[in-house]
Formats: sequence, structure tokens, C-alpha cells
Amino acid sequence: MSDTILSVVRKSIRPQAGDSWATIAERELPKLKTEDGVSSLQSWNLHVYMRAPAPEGSPRAGNPILPSDVIFIEPPMAAA
Amino acid sequence: MYDLIIRNGTVVDGSGLPGYQADVAVKGNRIAKIGKIAETADKEVDAAGKVVAPGFIDPHTHFDAQLLWDGAAKPALSHGVTTIVPGNCSLSLAPLKADHRMRLVGMFNQIEEMPYKAFREGVVWDWETFSEYITRIRKGLAINVAPLVGHSVIRLWVMNDAATERTATDAEIAEMQDVLRECLDAGAAGLSTSYVDMDETLQPVPSRYADAREVDALAAVLGEYGRMLQIVPEFYEPDLTIARLDQLAEMSIKYQIPTTFSPLFVNSDNVDAVDKVMNRVDEQFARGARVWPQVQTRPIDISFSFAVPSLLFIRYPNWYRIMRFGTPEEIKAHFADPENRKARAAEVADAKDLWPRLVLRQVKTDANQKYVGKTLAGIAAERGVTPVEAMIDISVEEDLEAHFLAADMGHNNDDKVVSLLKHPRVHIGASDGGAHILSFSTYGDTGYLFGHFVRNLKTMRLEDAVKKVTSDTASIWGIPERGLLQPGYIADIAVFDPQTVDRGVEKFVQDVPGDGSRYVRDSRGVDTVIVSGGIAWSAKGGYQEARGAVLPGETSRQPELVAAE
Repeated sequence: MSDTILSVVRKSIRPQAGDSWATIAERELPKLKTEDGVSSLQSWNLHVYMRAPAPEGSPRAGNPILPSDVIFIEPPMAAA
Repeated sequence: MYDLIIRNGTVVDGSGLPGYQADVAVKGNRIAKIGKIAETADKEVDAAGKVVAPGFIDPHTHFDAQLLWDGAAKPALSHGVTTIVPGNCSLSLAPLKADHRMRLVGMFNQIEEMPYKAFREGVVWDWETFSEYITRIRKGLAINVAPLVGHSVIRLWVMNDAATERTATDAEIAEMQDVLRECLDAGAAGLSTSYVDMDETLQPVPSRYADAREVDALAAVLGEYGRMLQIVPEFYEPDLTIARLDQLAEMSIKYQIPTTFSPLFVNSDNVDAVDKVMNRVDEQFARGARVWPQVQTRPIDISFSFAVPSLLFIRYPNWYRIMRFGTPEEIKAHFADPENRKARAAEVADAKDLWPRLVLRQVKTDANQKYVGKTLAGIAAERGVTPVEAMIDISVEEDLEAHFLAADMGHNNDDKVVSLLKHPRVHIGASDGGAHILSFSTYGDTGYLFGHFVRNLKTMRLEDAVKKVTSDTASIWGIPERGLLQPGYIADIAVFDPQTVDRGVEKFVQDVPGDGSRYVRDSRGVDTVIVSGGIAWSAKGGYQEARGAVLPGETSRQPELVAAE
């Protein structure tokens, strides 16, 4: 049963320890300049980008990405 | 000699097979015989014209706190629900160190809208471990409970404040595994986690700081017991939901565990989005994974007043902030200020189609009684203001005790919803029973299923609907000896009139500790509800025997009943 082929869905990753937009962009979108990659990631991941910032003094301050997040590394797929 | 006989009913046994005329006899806590029964019993129920079905199982509730002061989870039991699953969405009330109590109360208040005062005045905090919590709720338990343990709570137990700051170390993950084992040994039905919820400071709950390694390690423990993993995915977006169900599928296959995600809603603006998710569910089931989406039967209605933060305003930061963090006096002063009134009206202007159709459902003053039952559009026209201004003005005039209803907010496309409810890989659930008590009633989803989809629309067979909320649920959750009417099974039974069964009108009642109130719906058409062979509730006698059990770890908490077999 487990050999069943899954259809292609939108590509995503789980953050690695210490990941930021920039580190994900450099790793997953190496053909883009980092700043362009960051911009793309943010536009594809509004569920993370629009998150309320962590309070000042928090270990997460300045970085909205959580270890449990799903981060899309491509835009939404066109409807079939 | 039997203890109880239900005579002359139509037995719909939970298998999905056609109903048939028969008597049902109970001895001790089990079904002894189904058929023509000549003998007599101490108690008899006349079920002529009624359906005799297995008791319903509600797999997504938050009765964790209510069970501390109400072992019947009222009014769920009166709707025919004989088993509930609390502890969803990463939140349970155990294991819980004394130092973390108020922190968890804050999360319950933010996520499930349980009032602080109910915890202060309704709860004697005399437990820390899961085992101690189970012991605590057994007293007076009238409904069966299959409790999940919350991932956020386990994280707090092991990591303390660091639970909302960082990923766990290897040692901490190993300790979490041990704590989870202790909970499962004590009777937990599985583990819940959340990818969306926020705490009372509007920061992510502890489970959201876990990396994939930690969740995988906990799933491995579930695999040792074959128990359930429940998650709340980012249900508002199908691609995110699919990513989460793919993660569940990997763990389901790797550890051979059942998994479930809730809720799956039909979005009014994009009804076909659920098809995309269901296609993936079908593919993952074909691989051998068990990834059960939970779909609720009822449409989304939201009631609110300005006195408490409502889900309706969560995407309007300034509205939500003042409602969440303001005192009643501060909230009233804020909205009484003309400049704030103007700014807040502008902030919600994008939902211009919503506000006019809200209905004023309840006020305190005589002066505004004339508006009760009218839409904000109508009230606004009478007052010469906009609908939002009318809502603000009346709330201020009523000291924030004006209640409004936003009905049919979503999940209301009957054709699409019933196609999901009938789907063989959909799990009927997601009632949220016991939660959101100041926003909507979470009781009566089974009445709505039988009244709306089975009787009125005739889009679902009665036998199929019963199967979905009984034997299917028991099988999915690994609850033995329940969910079917057959000799030898535990006698959890609902007797109801198929011509009248429904949910009652939503009403606001004051029955929460600390003089608190909540929205509820009484049952309609339910005659008798039997738990472990005892009449737990009847339309004539109200709440009666308390024979609830903790599942799936035990079949009955009544030693004398087991001994009588």
C-alpha cells in the first residue's frame, strides 16, 4: 500500500534550528539573491510573515518563524 | 431476570445495516439480549415509535474543566452523547504543576473562552499528574470520557518557561516521552497538538515551539500504545492543511497510529477547497495512512457581546486588543469616545456585508427591548446611523451586555457538507463541546445531523448517520466494546424519536461557576440515555445514574457491575 504514488502538491519545508528568512532563502532558493529570496518567501508565507511580533526581550524577537511552521518554498500551484 | 429492558423500539445497531424491531435487554453494564424478550426487568423503557441506537461518541470536546464540577457534561449527555473526548488542541488540565495553573487557565480562556472566574470558583486544584486528574473526575462521572493529553501541557511540565522560548533538547524530549507514557498508562486516549493556537498574551502556545523531531518522538510513544494523535492544522488554508496531513500520514504509517485533524470546514467563499484536501486524504489512505479529517454537522453561528473578546474580531487588531485586555470600564470608555467610535467603525469597514445582517438577540434595558430580534440594518435605519455605529452605541448603552448574533457564517452549504459527512474517510466531530461558551452553543450536533440532514433534507440514511457517530468513531479511536448494539457489548444506548429529534433553540443560561453564563441548546426528541447499563438521563426524569467510565483503558469504573456479570 505504501508504494502508492502521491500527486504533486505545493513544496514546503520545516525550519531547521536557528532558521530565519535569509537562511531559508539561501538554502532553498539558491538561484535567487538572498533579498529576493526572502521577499518571495515572505509573500508565499503570509501565515508566518503577518504573525504578531514576539515581545522585546523574547528569544524570538525579530524572527517570526516557529520551529513547527510549514514554510512554502514555491508559490501556490495553478488550479488544475 | 434482567436489570433493564427497552421494548418495542427500532434497533439501529450502529453497523449501518437496516433497523429492525426488537427489544434490548441489559444485565449489569452489558447488553444481554436483543430480540423478543418475554422476561421482565427492574426497569423498562417503552421505545415504541423510537430508535434504539448505540450512544453517540463526540471526539472533539473541551469539557476538561466542566468535568470538575459537572460529571454529566451537561447538556451533552441529554443529546444522547455517552462518550466525549476532551483534551484536544494541545490543551488538557493534566499533567499540570501548581506553578503552571494560572498559565494554563489563561490559555483555556483565550483559546476555548472558558471564564477565569469559573476556574477560580469552580475548581479545587487537588491534582498535578494525569493519574490524579483522572481520579479527580471519576467522582460523579455520568458520561464516558476518553481524554487526550495536551502537548502544550507536557511541554510546560518538562520545560517550564522555556516551553514558549525554544526547541527541546534530547534529554527534554526523552523526558516528554516518559511523561506521555505515564499519561497513557493512566488512561489517556492519545495526544493532541496545535499549530494555530495562541495563549492569553497572543503568543503561540507551547506546542508550536516543537520541532519535527519532538513531535516524531512523541508519535513513537503513541505507536507503543496504538493511540491517537490529534492536531489542529492551519484549517483556513488548504495548502497548509495538506502539508499538515502529509506530516500526519508519515507518522501514521511509521508508527502505525491513527491520526485526526480538526476542523475541516466548508468555506463559503471557496466551497471546492475541501475537495483538494479530501483528494489528499484519499491518497494518503490509499498508502495505508490513517489521517481522519473531522467535520462538524452544524453551520457556524457566532454570538458575542463587547464584554468578552470574540472570535469575530480576531482579524481586527484594535478591536481585539481592547476587548482582550481592557477592563469593562475601559472598553466602555473606549467605544463611548467619538474619535475611537469613528476609527473602530473604519477598521471593520471591509466586512460591510456582515454587520447589517447581525441580529440583536438580548439587552438589559427596557429602552432597547424594542430592537431585540431586529437586524443591525433595521436598527441603524431607525437610529439614523450605520450598522456598526448602532452596534457600538447599543453596547455602550447596555454596559456591554448587548448580545448580537452572526448566523450562518460558514459551513452552511448543505450539499457540500453532507457529501463530507457521508464520505467514508471523514470522521464526524469537531463539535468543540464545552468550549467557546460565550460565542455559540457546542451541543446538539447529533440532533442537527438527524433532524436536518436525515429527516428534513433526506440526504443521509438514518442508519448511516448513526454508524458515523457510533461504531465508526469507536473503531477510529480504538474504543473497545462500544459503538454497536450487540450482546456482550457495553450498554451505552440512546433512545430517540426520529420524527422529532433535533437540537433546541440556542439560549443564554447562567449555570457556570462564578455566576458565569454560556450558550446552550437543549435536546429535542431524545427519550432516554443509558451509560454502562444505567439510565443516565431521561426526558421524564432528568439526570440520574452516574456510571461513566474512563476510556479506552477501562470498560467500566463500577467494580460491583463487573462482579455481577
